[in-house]
Amino acid sequence: MRVADVEEKTGKLGVYLELLLSLASELERAMEAIARNSLSEFTDSVANQEALSGQLVALGRAAGEQVRDDSMSTAVHIDADLAQQIRQASTSLQSLNRQYAALLQHSGHSIELMVSLLSSFKGQLQEASGARLKHQTWSCQM
Amino acid sequence: MGGLSTALSIGLQALEATQGALDATSNNISNDKTPGYTREVVQFTSNQLTQSGDTVSGGGVSLNNLQSIRDELLNLQIQNQNSLQGSADTQSSSLQQIQSYFTSNGQDIASALTAFSGSLTTLSASPSSASAQTGVLDSGENLAKSFNTTAQGLAGAQSSADSQVTQTVSQINTITAQIASLNGQLSQLQTTGQSGGTVQDQRDQLVQQLSTLTGISVTQTESGETITTGNGTPLVMGSQSFSLQTATGTDGMQHVLDSSGTDITTAIQGGQLGGAIQIRDQVVPGLMTQLNTLATQLGNAFNAAQAQGYDSNGNVGQNFFTVPATGSAAGISVAITDPSLVAASSDGTAGSNGNVANLSAALTTDLPSGQTAAGAYAGLVYQVGTQASNASSQSSAISQSLLQLTNQQNSVSGVNIDEETTNLIQYQTAYQAAARIVSTIQQLDSTTINMIS
Repeated sequence: MRVADVEEKTGKLGVYLELLLSLASELERAMEAIARNSLSEFTDSVANQEALSGQLVALGRAAGEQVRDDSMSTAVHIDADLAQQIRQASTSLQSLNRQYAALLQHSGHSIELMVSLLSSFKGQLQEASGARLKHQTWSCQM
Repeated sequence: MGGLSTALSIGLQALEATQGALDATSNNISNDKTPGYTREVVQFTSNQLTQSGDTVSGGGVSLNNLQSIRDELLNLQIQNQNSLQGSADTQSSSLQQIQSYFTSNGQDIASALTAFSGSLTTLSASPSSASAQTGVLDSGENLAKSFNTTAQGLAGAQSSADSQVTQTVSQINTITAQIASLNGQLSQLQTTGQSGGTVQDQRDQLVQQLSTLTGISVTQTESGETITTGNGTPLVMGSQSFSLQTATGTDGMQHVLDSSGTDITTAIQGGQLGGAIQIRDQVVPGLMTQLNTLATQLGNAFNAAQAQGYDSNGNVGQNFFTVPATGSAAGISVAITDPSLVAASSDGTAGSNGNVANLSAALTTDLPSGQTAAGAYAGLVYQVGTQASNASSQSSAISQSLLQLTNQQNSVSGVNIDEETTNLIQYQTAYQAAARIVSTIQQLDSTTINMIS
């Protein structure tokens, strides 16, 4: 086992841990944005989630190739504390993800209901004349 | 990053908030066409930050309450315009009814005056003719009846306005009691922290209805709305209402009394009640006075002309018209029944028409009012027409103003379906992107295990 291999793998796992924590943070931010009806913040968070999850997938794929290489030579042992931190971060992320999925499903269902309601609306729509004061309404807060 | 329990809490609060928002939006859309409905928005409160060790994370948000979007200044303007319109509509309606009695229809005073004058011309040509004398008598009776009919019409309009005063006061009392009850309900809801949007809408609708009945002043107090008439007579204070009463006055009309029995009739302005009182106590009496003056002066002038001549029997002409001291237009009648008593002769000889000119002059020369009978009546017709036209124009103008204000109110309080739909579509798109990431994160679990194993 070479010291350089250990350092390389530890460095990648450190990055991986940071990405897991950042992604979890973005999920929290997205849920708060939904609750606050902040569409711009929500879409911004979704963009960040896409970037972070993309990096995680790429890093995981690279690590997988590394594992295959290591199996043909000497296995690289990683720091137990770091592994524990990653395990906890991953567990938290998966739990958050389930919450996030539930919220999206619930809100998505609500939106579908609202879209159905609106599409079946047969009333006459008429724009009011005069000075219009725009107020954010709440169908978009789901 | 906060702990898992924190994240769970945030997620649950977000779900609750979403459910509240859905309820509010469903309510908004289902009430899109409900008159007086005020759109509700959800008010969120940021929860306190949570601290876990050195890490501080957001506490999420909670649904605080539902708040109706209202513009109290617009409501006030609409109330004022409602009061003006209620008054203008009532006056316009009454004046149109009155105008029908002053319209040329062959039975009106102008037509009767013309016919009466014509009969005197015929008499001048044949002063001894019984037929001509009968013609004068008949046309005189028609003239008297046309005065009677017009006066009865005015009295009828006054009586209708008087009845409307009683009915409107009763409606006002019903509405103020309902408003007071809603004030009580609203106060209870607010005490328990619940949304009173629907109750407030109902109350606003009733206040608007009340403003069409009478001019009001509305102020917000801790115990709810306080509503008074324009002169400050309390109608509603919080959950208590103060009924108005009506009582017959010395003039025979229904007077409006406040809850302590004070006569506030003359202080009432605006609304259907103000309009009815204006017609009953100002407009109709004004027209009636002028009509009575015309009937009195014309009757007296003709009687004076009669007294200058002699009838077919050679006697001094007696009164042609009976003119009551009061209510002359309603009571004027022809005093004689015998056509030969028409005093055509100026010297008592049969066949003389010397006094017919005096009789005719009573109709064509200026009366003490400074106008001829026809001129005075034309002035009355013009006055009624102008008042009716003004009231109608005012009503139309106020309608336009009210329409603009109502549109403006809808833009503040109403529900915009287009806006709702656009926002929904934007959210659907964002959710679809988010759902793909959820799936990616699920697959990361096995990747992570591989990395640390």
